[in-house]
Amino acid sequence: MSTADATRAGPPAPRSLRVALAERRAALGAFLLTAPGLIFLGLLFAMPLLQLFALSVEGGTTEWYARVFADGLYTTIFLRTFEIALFVTGAALLIGYPVAFFLATTTPTWRAIGFALVMLPFWTSVLVRTYAWMIILGRNGIVNRFLLDYGFIERPMTMLNTRFAVVLGMVHVMLPFMILPLYSAIVRIDPDLARAARGMGASRLKIFQRIYLPLTLHGVVAGVTLVFVVSLGFYITPALLGGGKVTMIAMVIEQQVREFLAWNFAGALSVVLLAITLAVFWVLNRWVARRVPPAAGQGR
Amino acid sequence: MASNSDKTSGDLSVTGIHKRYGQVRALADVSLTVAAGEFLTILGPSGSGKTTLLKVVAGFETPDEGDVRVGGRDVTDLDPAQRNIGMVFQNYALFPHLTVERNVAFPLEMRRVPTAEIRTRVAEALALVELTGFEHRLPRQLSGGQQQRVALARAIVFRPTLLLLDEPFGALDRKLRESMQLEVRRLQQRLGLTTLFITHDQEEALVMSDRIAVMDSGRLEQVGRPRDIYEAPQSPLVADFVGESNILSGTVEAAEGAAPAVRLEGGTLIRVAADGAVPAPGARVRVLLRPERLGDAGDDPGAENRIPGTVVESIYLGLSDKYRLRIAGGIELLARMGASRTARRYAEGDAITVGFHAADARIIEVR
Amino acid sequence: MSRDTGMTLTRRTILLAASALAVSAAPTLAQEPPKPRQIVINASGGAQAASLRQSYWADFEKETGIKVVDTSPVDFGKLRAMVDSGNIAWNITEIGGQDGFRVTQMGLAEPLDPKIIDRSKFVPASQAMTHVFSPSSYSTVIAYRSDVFTKGGPKSWADFWDVKKFPGPRSLRNHPVDNLEAALMADGVPKDKLYPLDVDRAFKKLDEIHPHISVWWTTGQQPAQMLIDKEVVLATGWNGRFYGLILDKAPLAIEWEGGILKQGSWIVPKGAKDQYWSMKLLAMMADPKRQAQNAMRLGYSGTNTLSEQYITDDKRPHLPLEPGNLAKQIWLDQEWWTKNGQAMAERWNKWMLSKQ
Repeated sequence: MSTADATRAGPPAPRSLRVALAERRAALGAFLLTAPGLIFLGLLFAMPLLQLFALSVEGGTTEWYARVFADGLYTTIFLRTFEIALFVTGAALLIGYPVAFFLATTTPTWRAIGFALVMLPFWTSVLVRTYAWMIILGRNGIVNRFLLDYGFIERPMTMLNTRFAVVLGMVHVMLPFMILPLYSAIVRIDPDLARAARGMGASRLKIFQRIYLPLTLHGVVAGVTLVFVVSLGFYITPALLGGGKVTMIAMVIEQQVREFLAWNFAGALSVVLLAITLAVFWVLNRWVARRVPPAAGQGR
Repeated sequence: MASNSDKTSGDLSVTGIHKRYGQVRALADVSLTVAAGEFLTILGPSGSGKTTLLKVVAGFETPDEGDVRVGGRDVTDLDPAQRNIGMVFQNYALFPHLTVERNVAFPLEMRRVPTAEIRTRVAEALALVELTGFEHRLPRQLSGGQQQRVALARAIVFRPTLLLLDEPFGALDRKLRESMQLEVRRLQQRLGLTTLFITHDQEEALVMSDRIAVMDSGRLEQVGRPRDIYEAPQSPLVADFVGESNILSGTVEAAEGAAPAVRLEGGTLIRVAADGAVPAPGARVRVLLRPERLGDAGDDPGAENRIPGTVVESIYLGLSDKYRLRIAGGIELLARMGASRTARRYAEGDAITVGFHAADARIIEVR
Repeated sequence: MSRDTGMTLTRRTILLAASALAVSAAPTLAQEPPKPRQIVINASGGAQAASLRQSYWADFEKETGIKVVDTSPVDFGKLRAMVDSGNIAWNITEIGGQDGFRVTQMGLAEPLDPKIIDRSKFVPASQAMTHVFSPSSYSTVIAYRSDVFTKGGPKSWADFWDVKKFPGPRSLRNHPVDNLEAALMADGVPKDKLYPLDVDRAFKKLDEIHPHISVWWTTGQQPAQMLIDKEVVLATGWNGRFYGLILDKAPLAIEWEGGILKQGSWIVPKGAKDQYWSMKLLAMMADPKRQAQNAMRLGYSGTNTLSEQYITDDKRPHLPLEPGNLAKQIWLDQEWWTKNGQAMAERWNKWMLSKQ
């Protein structure tokens, strides 16, 4: 503040210096504004992470990490976890994009209804949601009953307690995370762009490929990242809908913490999971940065 | 390119178009023809249906009735992609993630034009709009006028049968707007492009058009050359919308001599233009008198009408002076008088005698 | 708050004084440690919490004026975190039936005060534990659809494994506990020769049944739910989960043969507040009449041998410690599982993955 006063009182400073000072002041203001948030994040997020890391190397040993990679067990579970998260992300993107597109382009009434339906899983407890799937997919569930009654099948299909059920249940939960960023990306696109492209002879597919997809790439990456990362941490849905046949890393970590109190090992597993997640996140971001030109830079 | 476009450009004919949105009538029995190479402007206030008409022509809206033919081909049921119509949008609708070059190349790529040809045609189009050297910029790195040119280049690069311009100059400042208006007009004439132009700015319409179609409440009010629209409006609405106007009510009196006479409500008798059918004496009419055709009676000995009055308000406008006058019966008139060195200036309260020719007072409505 | 802090500082002194008084003379209200506003009990929740409230806690509230607040779920990791940090939110907590030995070994529980809690008539297994209070027993048993197996259900683990005689989808818990014992019994190991478990042999036997298990269950209510939905026709589960359904004439039945008994286990966390009153509450849960009430509500037998006499005849066949049923079952060896649990879990996970 004293700098600012001095500037005002003294002879007019050269323009560049004044600009620099103003910029510095603005930066300081921005920092002060974000400080509470940063402190909050630091306490609630960074601290526990550090503690987790400290646990995993407690006593200066790397034996817990050695155990993570020692035999095929945990690496296999990691792989399976990533596989499922990948399926879920892919399915959520395929379903979420058209839904987000509909929400962004429809009338306000339909938008309100659509949003309520999309957000419904957010307001329902995990268990209720999961049991709903059980009622739908079970051996005597709605789908099987329908198919049996109308003679499409002779014996009930096994849908529940499979990987398919796990992916379905997870996609249901994760859809809002995909739809919201996509929606906000699509809604920002001027509808005249699509009209212009159509007028210039572009088919619907081309309009999607050449206009919507590149312009919503940030939203796609945001949604994909969110869904993928959150999917890595699922354990209730896969345990209940997978009939125990689907093992995800979070289930193992939870077991180590809750049942065996093996916190050091659980810490090591968590740090490895976090490291892989961050790596995925980083790669995705790099990819987008290369695909979409930066706001102020030159075209190429 | 210029030589080719003569062949590709075609006429537009719109016949009996009706369009409703629920209870709202957007277009009512609109029929219009634009000759090949002609520049026709649809002029109207917002909500008059001009944008709906444009969308019907472009194919973004389907009319309830009527058909659209471009270059002799019925395109009423065709997708916009199949109509071969170039369009410049109000906010340009440039693809923000594509460079200038890629934006202009877009319609050619959609038509699977060979890459080498695309390159030469894009270069030609950019040269036409004087943007050579800006190929690798992104739209946001351009000024408003430059973006406008890119949009124009993109709309003509594929040699469309018809060019649609939807209020393209709205976002530009006055100076730039005026130079762009002339530039677009020059380009259009050079390429012989059939053009349908939408605007609510009457001055712009007068400057650019071969013909103007005035629209209101979903109907075409009048179609004609700019001069006809301005000087011989066929309704008070057109008169009022195009240019400044004095519209005076009165009664036709028996004509003595060449020019028929109208007794205004304040009692003043004026001579009016004799062209067209003059209503019989006793008919109630409205008379249009353009403010710039009112002058200082002393400067114009040939003026048949001389009316005394008082200056109520005097506004200095640089190019001209604008006066609000009161004449007999409390009727107010607007007058614009040139700001030449010899012109006399009046102040508020000054007495003045204004003069005008009978030919400049036109009966525009008979009731 | 200040009162509570004082309590913590002088906890031992007061406890000692309280016990001393209990011996020397009948304690009067004035000599008891100050009453807290509430006692927090962490348990499994659900129907169980409702029954415990009706059977014990309501009376405790009435007699002492201290409110009993129940939370859930049971969480061993959280217990350790609380004790480690000294920030203990629970006055009493339930723990898993297989964790009684471990919780004592790890020093996470306060010793029970024999002067307040009288366990002299408890079954020997429950009396033996110094830190773990066990007012009830439950058993992992075979349950099945009685309307599917009309000519009689499975009579042993060997029958559970016999997919020709008892065809249909089955469910086992997604956990090695109980399953290893069940597999060995199915393979013909005598009940008294089970421990130490022959793990290799158990997993080999489990290989046989794996293709026929359509669900590996995780939560306690799953088996009963799946049987009711006919998702499976045979399942293992905790007997109390089927008890109410069977009394309500659902087409379910259970087989006690080879049932694996565990003790409902409650502890006072090491360093918890208001221990005197926690012990008082546990003392109420030792009362045979109340234990019988709770047993008839939940299907988990009381461990006080005197509770037997209060059980009505219609409920007797459905309770695990009824002498006829008890003779068919075995007690889970907590010590073995404390030593081998983690290794078994890893092997179990590996085994499950190898089947995918």
